[in-house]
Amino acid sequence: MIEFDHVSKSYNKGKVKAVDDLTLTVPSGEIFGFLGPNGAGKTTTLKMVVGLLRSDGGSISINGLDVRTEALKTKTLTTYVPDYPAVYERLTGLEYLNFIGDVYGVPKPERLERISKWLEVFELGPAVGNPIQSYSHGMKQKIVLIAAILPAPEVMILDEPMVGLDPRASHSLKEMMREHCDAGGTLFFSTHIMEVAEKLCDRIGIIHKGRLIACGTMEELRRIDKEQQSLEHIFLELTET
Amino acid sequence: MRRFLALLEAGLKSNFGLSVLRHRLLRQKKDLWMVPLVALAAVSAAPLLYYYFTLLKSLYNLLAPIGQQAALLTFGLLAGQLLILIFGLFYVISAFYFSKDLEVLIPLPVRPFQVMLSKFGVILANEYLTVSLIVLPILISFGVLGRRGPVYWIEAALVYLLLPVIPLALVSVLVLLLMRFVNLGRRKDALIIVGSLLLIVLAMMFQFWINRSSRLEPDSAALVRFFASPDSLPQKTGSTFPPSVWATRALTGGLSAAGLAQLLIYAGVSIILLIGMAAGAEALFYRGLVGLAETSGRGRRLTGAEISRRLSSGRRPIRALFLREWRLMNRTPIFLLNGTLTVIIIPVMLLVMAKAGSTDSDLTSLFRLLSSKNALVSVLVSAGFMTICGSLNGTASSALSREGSQFWISKIIPVSPRDQVAAKFLHSYLVALLGIVAASAVLLAQLRIPPASFALAIGLALAVTFILTAAGLAVDLARPLLDWINPQKAIKQNLNVLIAFLADLGFLAFLGFACRFLSRLGLAVHAVLLALGLVLVFLAGLSWHLLGKFAEARYPAIEA
Repeated sequence: MIEFDHVSKSYNKGKVKAVDDLTLTVPSGEIFGFLGPNGAGKTTTLKMVVGLLRSDGGSISINGLDVRTEALKTKTLTTYVPDYPAVYERLTGLEYLNFIGDVYGVPKPERLERISKWLEVFELGPAVGNPIQSYSHGMKQKIVLIAAILPAPEVMILDEPMVGLDPRASHSLKEMMREHCDAGGTLFFSTHIMEVAEKLCDRIGIIHKGRLIACGTMEELRRIDKEQQSLEHIFLELTET
Repeated sequence: MRRFLALLEAGLKSNFGLSVLRHRLLRQKKDLWMVPLVALAAVSAAPLLYYYFTLLKSLYNLLAPIGQQAALLTFGLLAGQLLILIFGLFYVISAFYFSKDLEVLIPLPVRPFQVMLSKFGVILANEYLTVSLIVLPILISFGVLGRRGPVYWIEAALVYLLLPVIPLALVSVLVLLLMRFVNLGRRKDALIIVGSLLLIVLAMMFQFWINRSSRLEPDSAALVRFFASPDSLPQKTGSTFPPSVWATRALTGGLSAAGLAQLLIYAGVSIILLIGMAAGAEALFYRGLVGLAETSGRGRRLTGAEISRRLSSGRRPIRALFLREWRLMNRTPIFLLNGTLTVIIIPVMLLVMAKAGSTDSDLTSLFRLLSSKNALVSVLVSAGFMTICGSLNGTASSALSREGSQFWISKIIPVSPRDQVAAKFLHSYLVALLGIVAASAVLLAQLRIPPASFALAIGLALAVTFILTAAGLAVDLARPLLDWINPQKAIKQNLNVLIAFLADLGFLAFLGFACRFLSRLGLAVHAVLLALGLVLVFLAGLSWHLLGKFAEARYPAIEA
């Protein structure tokens, strides 16, 4: 479970409010989709959850643990996929996964089982022994995704995880996301793909200029729009100004 | 031309981080604390500059009565050009072939030579700054002490502006050819390192050969001829690299026909090499680059058994992080050349230079003379040499910066900042140990110091290096440079490395003064060394403790 309590973050000494008084709870077992125009505050929010950025005010907790005061414990529970897969290019894919397994303390049998499974699912087996610098953007995205799945975390934070993935990998990822939450995990992700959000998410939040302007299930969001159209229409209407 | 200027402007802004600096200082009001720090660093350099000017004045006054003062100019210009020739190699390889902005530049509608010349311009700007501390004081001293007129100052400015062109153009042509050749192979990184080392070895062999072949025979007639001409010492000094002699003659000749002719040769060769390099770039530059991308995807599919064998059965996080540091450092050619290999190359270069000179070089004789009078000096100088070889390489002071855009991984993993920095410390200290071992080998080979002094020197060097490693890490923790696109910026052009370097020199000078003070109090050598050892052990423990605390405070604050 992720809880945001009046979280704020600004840049340029308070001149630009990236996230403005965000209060939100994402319970265990839920896939929460975070939508918003470019620069609305999605990535800033996700980065604050995993400790890449510090909030100016309010608090964020994971399973009741504050991400600032109990950072090490919350990091053990969480994995993250950034919006751009910047990984150690001079390591091979397998060395990188092994590194992640070591720092998260994944025992060897589980490590072998999960790595083998996901290399197969993402069709990355032939390349795993090569340096990551030889990978395409999509392959780098896949290795970062496998690294995020490897520790079997309770909470996954994904920033536009479908970008660069081929349709098969994208499908596999969506299945994984569903399985993760059906098993009691929490998944908080941002996306620009409305169809994915509409079909996959248990709840959706729309952030605009740092403020959460809408939040709910697809049914609840449809009630906002009189014509009860698609999520795309709802999104466009809400973020018009 | 307009396109080239646009490329150059973008390159300079990116290289010096001008836009980012302006944004952070003026708009975000961040890093304002850097302003007094940089001012402090500049002020602290003032005494060094003062001593340098004083030294130059003494040398000038020593050489002027025998009419050989122009050798001072040759020496300065030669030192600057040789420095650029040897170290420019890393700059050139890194900027031409490993800069990530190439992905953006290649698809642009510009010619290969325009891209390469713009990058050349950026390196040139860096070199002006790098050699300014060595060359400018010499040009200024020579002009002021010789009461030179305006022609000298104009020519001096021209000479300085052209100074890096010849060595950099030579290196660039070599690199163009090397990279074209390297791309025939599949292991480009290994070949780049081997190629770079080969060039360094060739440069050292050249130096060795010049020194051996130009030795003066102590013949009185030859000596008379030598001192009769004001040109003989510059000629001899500059025989390693003739452009420095041309520039000297141009500066001393002024508006005379001979002077202008030398200036013409100096400028002409610079321009011809530049044109040759541009022509070479047009033919070879992009071919070498395209090859870089082609050669990386290789290898075969690993079997399940191989994957299982290669997976560890659970290393401790510190060990995993140490391994990461070691692999990333040694697999990135620029990091390897400027870090791990530097600690080995520098002592070896010094040994070759010492061996290349007379059978008993001046430095060796000086050391023996000092040691014979005072055993403390022998230990301290040896320890200082080991420490300098081990510590002054930027491994510790770029430890966080080297992670660059991948620093997010260190921020999200469940390993405490204290442990993360401990792994970085172990890696940096191991590199420093390699330097100490290399320096020890050189000391044993060249100076044959007594075993007891040697053991004491190693003990002191290990303790001092421990403190300096912690200090280097602390500097990089305070202001890591993470937004680079060229790995060169993370280690070679990283201000943190310079700050740590100055701090290290300051600390070593402080220790030297402290020992001198204790020695003057009349304390025995062993008492001084014991006091020093105890203080160092205490400081090492303290620095380790403070580094851990600083890491705990800084890691959460570094936004990635």
